[in-house]
This record gives sequence, structure tokens and C-alpha cells, in this order.
Amino acid sequence: MSKGLFRISPGFEDVMPAEYKELVTNGPYGRDLGVKDLGTFKELIEEHPLCAGCAEALALRLILASLPSPEDTVIVGSTGCSSLLFTQVAVQNIHSLFGNQNAVATGLKRALRLRFPDKVKDVVVIAGDGATVDIGLDMVMQSWFRRELITTIMLDNEVYANTGGQESGMSPQGAVLYMAPLGKKFPKVNLPEIAREAGCAYVATISPALPRRLGKVVRRAILVAREIGPSYVQVFCPCPTNFKWPSAQVLQKIRDRQKEGIFKVREYVSPEAEAYLAGLEVERQHDEQE
Amino acid sequence: MYVTVRVEVEKCSGCKLCIVSCPDPNVLAFIPEAKHVVVNEHRCKGCGLCATVCPEEALTVSGN
Ligand SMILES: Cc1ncc(C[n+]2csc(CCOP(=O)(O)OP(=O)(O)O)c2C)c(N)n1
Ligand code: SF4
Ligand code: SF4
Ligand code: SF4
Ligand SMILES: [Mg+2]
Repeated sequence: MSKGLFRISPGFEDVMPAEYKELVTNGPYGRDLGVKDLGTFKELIEEHPLCAGCAEALALRLILASLPSPEDTVIVGSTGCSSLLFTQVAVQNIHSLFGNQNAVATGLKRALRLRFPDKVKDVVVIAGDGATVDIGLDMVMQSWFRRELITTIMLDNEVYANTGGQESGMSPQGAVLYMAPLGKKFPKVNLPEIAREAGCAYVATISPALPRRLGKVVRRAILVAREIGPSYVQVFCPCPTNFKWPSAQVLQKIRDRQKEGIFKVREYVSPEAEAYLAGLEVERQHDEQE
Repeated sequence: MYVTVRVEVEKCSGCKLCIVSCPDPNVLAFIPEAKHVVVNEHRCKGCGLCATVCPEEALTVSGN
């Protein structure tokens, strides 16, 4: 574990920002904390410029709290609303050219394996729906075909939010957006199904309206990508600003969509991944007893 | 004055649902000894999401 990275060099204690000091003394590094512990430790994310009531920001906050070892994780991001938030994140992260995120993550994961053969280094792609299902789909799918050991997380806010509201492959059929006035002509792309067929060993859909479950899913996805194969998590977090909802409504909107059966929480685990996760669970229980 | 959420601590059961429903980090904190939450008003954006999930109606957003 590389916890030392976040220590303050002697002599610099009094000039470091209060937030950084708090991260060193009360951050989650090496402490096995999760979503259930939020509100009791200094989070890996600082104040950010995303809209009030942004479900994508909530999703990111929950994802960051669920990383199994944040000190040994590198996140690969892409352009979009989330990239405005990554400047505020205390996990090593790379901003890649829009759409290239899974290609960048592939090279990074392979290089980390050569450089640190005895260490676990998690490479996690976190990108928008536009970056994942439209412009970056080629790179995303090729990385799954090659069985790269990376986790891909899509922030499905159902729109190109950061550029003012164009429709994406993930916008619902009929959606009228600021820059899609005629309404979308085809349904949401079924990327979870494609991910499964393309070789992912773990695939899940989830939303921040189920925070603990989201934490569990992210953790399982990252663990599977350590040993078994690529994993894909699709987080449903529609954009209240582009869909013109009041800031307090997004969680209810997500629940409504779930009730109507339009959004479904699903999990696919390959038999190999299932056996691997069950083994880890046994190990964990054993550790707790000792 | 900025819009912010306020906690009525007498009503709060400490379920922490609000904490996991806030899009902003370290706004709501849990005080284990007192078993209720507190809000850092300087960081709150006043979106109101936390108030929509609180089962005890312990949260209100000023200005709304
Ligand atoms: C190579 C390239 N093409 C296009 C853009 C313009 N661009 C910036 S953000 C964005 C939309 C992002 O949409 P999405 O991935 O869904 O993320 P969101 O903002 O919705 O979170 C686009 C097209 C860019 N920055 N770089
Ligand atoms: S535009 Fe939408 S996705 Fe982007 S920060 Fe605002 S609410 Fe979040
Ligand atoms: S009003 Fe919004 S920003 Fe403020 S504490 Fe509640 S959820 Fe967080
Ligand atoms: S949701 Fe309400 S009752 Fe639960 S911790 Fe928050 S303020 Fe207290
Ligand atoms: Mg988007």
C-alpha cells in the first residue's frame, strides 16, 4: 500500500491547506471504509462546481467512497461534467481525450503490471454516457474483447450535459432536450447486454437512489477486474438541469423510473467471477474472526 | 443570505439516509456520541435532496 504518498513532508505542516491535513489525519486510506461510513471521515472529494442536486455528483461521491483501495487506484476520466469534479478528487486520476478512456486505461493497467508486478493496482474508468456509448464505444468494446483487467463505470445521465444538452445513445426514446428539439427517435442502447456478450465477467446496473447497493456493486466490479476479467457498471443518474427538474427531485424521478420498470437494477456475474468473489468473502470472514 | 439546509436535532434519529443522498462531500456529518447529524452550512448548496429522503422530517431548506 502506498499510503506514504499522502503524508505531509516535515516542515510543511503549517502551510498545507486545512482540507489536506484533514485528509491525512482522517482520510479513508487503508481503513476499509465504505458508503455506510460516509459522514464520519474526510472524503476523497472536495467541494466541486457541479449543479445543486446533481445525481452524477452524488454517484461519484458514492463511487469514491466504495473504492476497495483508493491509495492503489488510478481513475481514468473523460471530458464531461464529471471532469470538472476530478480536479477536486484525492485519488490519482488521468484526464483522457474524449472517447479514448478505455484505450488509455489499457496501456496504464499493462504498464502498472510491469512496473509493480507484486502489487494490486486498480484501474477504473469513469466516464459519461456520451463518452462511453457513443464517441468511445469502439475503444470501450475493444478493451472488453481483449479481456483487459479494468473496470468501466458509465455515468448515465442520459444526455451530453456538459455541452448543453445533445441526445446520446442513452437518452430515452422521445426525450426532448435543449439541443435535440425533435425528440430522440430510438431507444436507449442496451450496453449491459453488449458488455456481457463482449466478454465482461461482471456487469451491473445501479443508481445512487440505492447507495449501499451501489457501493457493493462498485466494490465487486473492481475486485473481479483484479483477477478474472473486465467489468462494467452502468450508473443511472439522470441530469436534473437538462431534464428541467427542480433540484430536489432527481432521487424520486429515479425511483419512479424503477417502479415503472423502465430502469432495472441488474447484476450479471460469470461463474468464474462468482467463485472468485465467494472465495474472497470466505477470506474476509476468516480475517475478521482472527 | 445563502440557501442552506437546517437540522432539527430533536427530530433526527441518526439513520444517515441524508448523508448518502447529498451530492456534495462533507456537508452532512454524523456525530456518533449524540447520534444525530449536523450540517456544514458553508458547503451546502441547498438542493433539498436530503430533505426528500429524511423519514423524520428533520431537515428544512431555508428560502424554499
Ligand atoms: C474529442 C472531443 N470531442 C468532443 C468534445 C466535446 N465534448 C465535451 S463534453 C462532451 C459531452 C459529454 O457528454 P457525456 O460523456 O455524456 O458526459 P456528461 O457531461 O453528460 O457528464 C462533448 C461532446 C471534446 N471535448 N473532445
Ligand atoms: S449539467 Fe447535469 S450532469 Fe452536469 S453538473 Fe449539472 S446536473 Fe450534473
Ligand atoms: S440541501 Fe443538498 S447540498 Fe445541502 S445538505 Fe441537503 S443534499 Fe446536501
Ligand atoms: S435522514 Fe433525517 S433522521 Fe436520518 S439522519 Fe438525516 S436528518 Fe436524521
Ligand atoms: Mg452524459
